[in-house]
Amino acid sequence: MVTYIVRRLVTAVLILLGASFLVYLLTAASGDPLEELRTNPAPNKAQLIQQRTDLLNLNVPAPLRYFIWLRGAAGCLVPFANTCDLGKNLAGQPVTEALGQAIVQTLSLVTAATFLAILIGVSLGIVTALRQYSSLDYGVTFMAFLFFSLPIFWAAVLLKEYGAIQFNNFLKNPDIPLGVVALIGVIVGLIAVSVAGGSWKRRGIAFGSAFVATAAVLLYVSLTGWFRTPGLGPVVIALSGVGIAFGITTLTAGLKNRKALYSSLIAVGVGVVAYFAIQPLLDSATFLMIVLLAVATVLVGMAIGYFMGGYDRGQSMRAAALTSLLVGALIFLDRFMQSWPEYFNNSRVRGRPIATIGAGTPGIEGDFWTLGLDRVTHLILPTAALILISIASYTRYSRSSMLEIMNMDYVRTARAKGLSERTVVMRHAFRNALIPLATIVAFDVGGLIGGAVITESVFSFSGMGSLFVNGLRGPDPNPVMGFFLVVGITAMVFNLLADLVYSALDPRVKVKS
Amino acid sequence: MRFGRISKAVGVAAVAALALSACASNSSSSGSSSSSAEGGKKGGSATVVEVNGFSSFNSSTATGNSDINGKIAYATHSDFYYIDNNLNIVRNDKFGTYEKVSDDPLTVKYTINDGVKWSDGAPVDANDMILQWAITSGYYNDAKTDADGNVTAGTSYFEYAGDTTGLGLTSFPEIGADGRSITLKYSKPFADWEIAFGLGNNNAAVPAHVVAQKAGLADAKALTDLLKGLPKGNPEAPAAPNPQLKAVADFWNTGFDTKTMPDPSLALSMGPYVAKSIVPDQSMTLTRNPDYTWGPQANLDEITVRYISSAPAAIQALKNGEADIIAPQPSADTVDQLKALESQGVTVDQGAQLAYDHLDLNFNGVFADSKVREAFMKTVPRKDIVDKIVKKLDPNAKPLDSQIFVPAQAKYAESVKDNGSANFQDVDIEGAKKLLNGATPEVRIMYNKDNPNRLDAYTLIAESAAKAGFKVVDGGLGKSEWSPALGNGTYDATIFGWTSPGVGVSNVPQLFKSGGSSNFSKFSDPEADKLMDELIVTTDKNKQDDLSAQIDKKIWASNYGLPLFQSVGVDAYSDRITGVKYMPNQTGVWWNFWEWAQK
Repeated sequence: MVTYIVRRLVTAVLILLGASFLVYLLTAASGDPLEELRTNPAPNKAQLIQQRTDLLNLNVPAPLRYFIWLRGAAGCLVPFANTCDLGKNLAGQPVTEALGQAIVQTLSLVTAATFLAILIGVSLGIVTALRQYSSLDYGVTFMAFLFFSLPIFWAAVLLKEYGAIQFNNFLKNPDIPLGVVALIGVIVGLIAVSVAGGSWKRRGIAFGSAFVATAAVLLYVSLTGWFRTPGLGPVVIALSGVGIAFGITTLTAGLKNRKALYSSLIAVGVGVVAYFAIQPLLDSATFLMIVLLAVATVLVGMAIGYFMGGYDRGQSMRAAALTSLLVGALIFLDRFMQSWPEYFNNSRVRGRPIATIGAGTPGIEGDFWTLGLDRVTHLILPTAALILISIASYTRYSRSSMLEIMNMDYVRTARAKGLSERTVVMRHAFRNALIPLATIVAFDVGGLIGGAVITESVFSFSGMGSLFVNGLRGPDPNPVMGFFLVVGITAMVFNLLADLVYSALDPRVKVKS
Repeated sequence: MRFGRISKAVGVAAVAALALSACASNSSSSGSSSSSAEGGKKGGSATVVEVNGFSSFNSSTATGNSDINGKIAYATHSDFYYIDNNLNIVRNDKFGTYEKVSDDPLTVKYTINDGVKWSDGAPVDANDMILQWAITSGYYNDAKTDADGNVTAGTSYFEYAGDTTGLGLTSFPEIGADGRSITLKYSKPFADWEIAFGLGNNNAAVPAHVVAQKAGLADAKALTDLLKGLPKGNPEAPAAPNPQLKAVADFWNTGFDTKTMPDPSLALSMGPYVAKSIVPDQSMTLTRNPDYTWGPQANLDEITVRYISSAPAAIQALKNGEADIIAPQPSADTVDQLKALESQGVTVDQGAQLAYDHLDLNFNGVFADSKVREAFMKTVPRKDIVDKIVKKLDPNAKPLDSQIFVPAQAKYAESVKDNGSANFQDVDIEGAKKLLNGATPEVRIMYNKDNPNRLDAYTLIAESAAKAGFKVVDGGLGKSEWSPALGNGTYDATIFGWTSPGVGVSNVPQLFKSGGSSNFSKFSDPEADKLMDELIVTTDKNKQDDLSAQIDKKIWASNYGLPLFQSVGVDAYSDRITGVKYMPNQTGVWWNFWEWAQK
């Protein structure tokens, strides 16, 4: 094992050296950093060229200049010596500093998107595998491939046009015309039909109820001006809470486990009471407080499950904890909605909340909720764009892996010994289906740092992607090298991690040295 | 037992609630934010989009002199003059005055008005001017460089990005008794004396008292005394570096570089606005300088600068109300998209920029013969080039007809009338053939083939020249190769771009004088040289214009090559904002930022 890791690390270093040399030469060949100065007729031209030559060592040929760069970069290997020198960009900023700022921006952009894409993609994959060859399966497959093949620069521009500009126009006077209500109702109805499947009667009921429910919600939302003063209120929280309680119990313990169901329902009740109790506290929220509240919520849920007792305390505790966490999330969401009018009317937002560029409204001031909303309104579109294009691979991988597992002998055995379908799927199949996904997830998390070059440029995030692109356009070689170094190292490390995790998860796979 | 459990639970809950309220933010923040919102209403605010991110509060250094740093410096500095969008120098007497005391020797006295101060309260006075002079004159530098450009001896103190030739002619300034004036004496007349010295505009000053303090000196006075005591640097006899001046220069070179909001003393302002906050590579907020009274009064209370590098993103931001004023990279798409926004109240301004593309013919090789040059020039389809490349951006675009002036300058029209450009308005294949007299010279044209505009221009020129019998060889080079090839003699003609300074004549000899640093085509005309020698020592604007016009004529007469067209600039602003006016130079829309107002 240790020899294997060492061998991989040594190869990684060699690959990095070779690749960085290649990238350095390519970058050097991509443009002339002195071009703008050479075509400058000013009398001090020679002096400007001299200054830039000194800054970038341009009087040394590129293959040799690489070693100057490498010497500086090697300083980064000495821990705490502060000798790390990746050169400077054309503005004289050290690349190490620029990288630090860019990584933060990139992570803030892509982290949520990646985790949501994994969550949604894997769930969709599992569901479609369980309903193989149903209209839901075909529908999801179709949509996944459609989004996968969308060029993101185009999809992102469309998202900005309709998700931000037109939606903000709509918010000025948020009335939904009846025709639109009907259209959306029909679409939701059709989705419901595809999910429900079964006999025509069953499909008809699904369509009808989905259509009526959607239309009712839309009309309510339109008539009450909900988009301007949104909120859930205790009633909606209580109703959704009951739904969540049933759903979570079905997944974690099965509805036959009455103790678990009651624990979850009690958790919902406690949540509704807490909704009233903690409003004053939430008014002066801080991030730390929200984290502590979330922890407290989980603990309360576990306590409820524990005191319900029963033959399988663990299941009750899990169900109640999850339920209370989700109800807590609803309360959290509701509190955000309460702050919406204040955010909407903020003098810097001026009634156009959904943003098309950047990570925040410049100079905005406000409490935790206003600032949080500002973050959300800026991240929602890029996150949606990234999810749309990356969801496809997750659904496809998890679907095929789940299908493979479901046809395994041990699943048949599990069914044969009389386990419920829930137990078979959740306990025996689902977990094993996730093993191959570990590889892709590790890859993607490694790729996170590389940023999303196009998405960053369309949404004007100054992350790793724009560092790279602007460096190439400059041409400004040092930021490009800095980018390459960080991305190359993370890719290598996560590749290695993926292999190790795989062998740890699946005992059949052994790492041989 | 039961009660015990419940009471315990209540107790735990109470403790938890206490703990949570302890970590709550204790400000009643909703109140404070609404009051700040009301404060912003008075003069309003605007959001301007820039392409690059701000990186330094000192825009005069080699690394700090990017366009955005210059614009921020322009908004946070005041000066003796500013340049308007007709490229005229407009004096600002409320800040201070400058007057030519004598012509021979050229002596100029600069006086800053009483009451002009930095935003920390320190006065802007002679000490600031002395430091600024020391930097922009290169007075103390005694560095000697070898052929490769490496410093072999001596010291180059301030990494100043601007031109030191003008102030390099001055001796140590005489400081006025009031402490607010200095007098510069030039060893010979200098044409661009009006824009040679200043505390704002292209070479914004940094506060002398801050530099002095950070460099370990007592105060600004001590810095002035230090400078006064040092001799002029002599590259022929380099002295040992002065450690104190070195400390001052080192701080000046890099001390103001920052991507985040620094210590307030490093972000001082003496102009209409002062920097309030910075989000690295995202945005910057400027707010009204409350003390400022010494110049045009700004309307807006606040200007927010956001950085968007992609033009479509900037346009969508304008459409979504996140940006009020944008000046994206012009392209046919950009202009179309902006025109589509006119229906929602957006105003689009297009205009020529100071950058222009031109075709230069070498004065050696196949083009050594003036007739061949003339024949080639006759074949250049300038109107087609403008139609194909620029018309889609600016329907009013015309070929540029002067080698020295641009249409924004008053003298352009007059100079164009008799500089000889009239002979090259239309393609004259027959005339070219006659001049060639049956010869078929081979011409290698060098250009940046990765630039689509240059490639288009080349294609049109090559096609047309072939008709007259020229054998045109495509000498196009890639992005990284073409600019080092300039002037190396491997081509006969080249297409590329220059940027006219708009104001000042110092560039003219660089381009057209025998041996000038940017005279790549080896043009040499003794009479033109003489005129240029006269030009750079002429201090009167009208005489300068006359001389420039004569030089223009000489250049055309010698069949130097052809100016093709000016680059097009475009800016657009929403109906929230008024007062934005197109400006051809690098200050862009910022030139009259004080006139911007919210409707």
